[in-house]
Amino acid sequence: MTTLTTWLRDHSPSSRLQARAGQAWLGWLRMRRNPLAMVGLTIVAVLLLMAAFAPWIATHDPIAQDLSQRLLRPMTNGHLMGTDEFGRDIFSRVVYGARVTLYIVTLVAVTAPVFGLLVGTVSGYAGGWVDQVLMRITDIFLAFPKLILALALVAVLGPGIENAVLAIALTSWPPYARVARAETLTVRNSDYIAAVRLQGAGPSRIVWGHIMPMCLPSVIIRVTLDMAGVILTAAGLGFLGLGVQPPMPEWGLMISSGRKFLFEQWWVATMPGLAIFVVSLGFNLLGDGLRDVLDPRSTAK
Amino acid sequence: MALIEIDNLSVHFDAGDRIVKAVQDVSLQVAARESYGLVGESGSGKSTILRAICGLAPISGGTVRIGGEPLKTPRGKGFSARVQMVFQDPYSSLHPRHTIDRTLSEPLAIHGVGNTDARVVQALRDVALDPTFRFRFPHQLSGGQRQRVAIARALMLQPEILLLDEPTSALDASVQAETLNLLNRLRAERGLTFLMVSHDLAVIDHMCDRVLVMQHGRAVEELARDDLAAARMTTSYARTLFDASADRMLDGA
Repeated sequence: MTTLTTWLRDHSPSSRLQARAGQAWLGWLRMRRNPLAMVGLTIVAVLLLMAAFAPWIATHDPIAQDLSQRLLRPMTNGHLMGTDEFGRDIFSRVVYGARVTLYIVTLVAVTAPVFGLLVGTVSGYAGGWVDQVLMRITDIFLAFPKLILALALVAVLGPGIENAVLAIALTSWPPYARVARAETLTVRNSDYIAAVRLQGAGPSRIVWGHIMPMCLPSVIIRVTLDMAGVILTAAGLGFLGLGVQPPMPEWGLMISSGRKFLFEQWWVATMPGLAIFVVSLGFNLLGDGLRDVLDPRSTAK
Repeated sequence: MALIEIDNLSVHFDAGDRIVKAVQDVSLQVAARESYGLVGESGSGKSTILRAICGLAPISGGTVRIGGEPLKTPRGKGFSARVQMVFQDPYSSLHPRHTIDRTLSEPLAIHGVGNTDARVVQALRDVALDPTFRFRFPHQLSGGQRQRVAIARALMLQPEILLLDEPTSALDASVQAETLNLLNRLRAERGLTFLMVSHDLAVIDHMCDRVLVMQHGRAVEELARDDLAAARMTTSYARTLFDASADRMLDGA
């Protein structure tokens, strides 16, 4: 451990890998000083573990119905969170639901921000009519309420998890494009961009290698802060029956089916609701912590 | 024939409702291996001349020729291999998220030059930086060290001409002298041609064979080094500038 930390703290790294690892280590140390960010990180880590080891953590089969056991209170007959209207174990469904949630979150996180980053940096660097066209398209997407647009898309494409992801991704890229463009405008006239242009670099090399690294931190922060929104939109689509289809365990869908029993059997809707709440909170806290770690203005010293 | 020939160069910026004439009808010639200075107060257009040569500012009138050839727009890779620039502020001229290694190897990658590792290490040695600095980030270096990296970067493509935009004004006095001596050494070793901007006649006196005094975007007077040292200037503005820095020039001499 001590040899590893001295290797990481070496002020004169001897390879690209060591330089990069050293910077990551410093970021981790900064992050560790923020207790709330660590709470967020723990929640996200638990979510990851829950999804990965769902078959071992779940106490029951998430889709096995047993009508003799329906609507049991929490902590009865070995059902930690009770059972729903078909006698399915809610705890097991929440655990398996982590997989669905993570699947949606990951797919959205690798599509929308990448597309938004590309549109924003190209628009900001190119300027002129390219900027005008790309930004007006962005404005059009921003003018629609997110959930309504997603609803319209799913209605056209048909319900299902992939279409829900597509709808969420298509509605959530414009803010990233805006953030990336604003960041690009602040760096495009700096001396280090002038220097690399003077060395004969083409626009694609400048945008990809020199401007994107400067925009990445603010976009990553924005992504983690938006993850809560993505989970809620996915849950909203599930709630309306346009996202994941039954009997797949998805948190939004579970709340939707639980609302019929909200007053007599409160746990059916509350347990998945709590899961959404905790995970959304986790991503938000993590995003706040990442802001301290990644923001180039705070790491300049 | 002069290496850099500038004839009646004008640079105008469109500032919305009016036109800013940053440089008006400036002509100068720099011979190969010469060190030529541009001096004047801030806003006199001296940096703009350098930026116009590089294509970072628009040429509104006149011509610039390098080695007898008029400049093309865009400048192209051939220009990059002949002319490079060192910027004023080493805190903003190095990419904050690239290691020194990346900064120095980028020009090689752009021009498809191989043998990157050896060249980067050699470039660091040439500017008297230890090769252990190679994988550091700019924020782990001091101002003087950063400016050395910026000089090394400018020399990676082995250009003939180095445009120096107040290369030491952001550094403190002792580091300033070091950096100027480094530049003088490199010029002697590699036969470089310098076109250097400064607001400080003492720096120009230390570095340059000839100097052009500028005011309000116009050339005021051209002086050779001997004339400068002997205070044989003919215009009152050049004399004012000289008086302002005369005491430090005597220290240096």
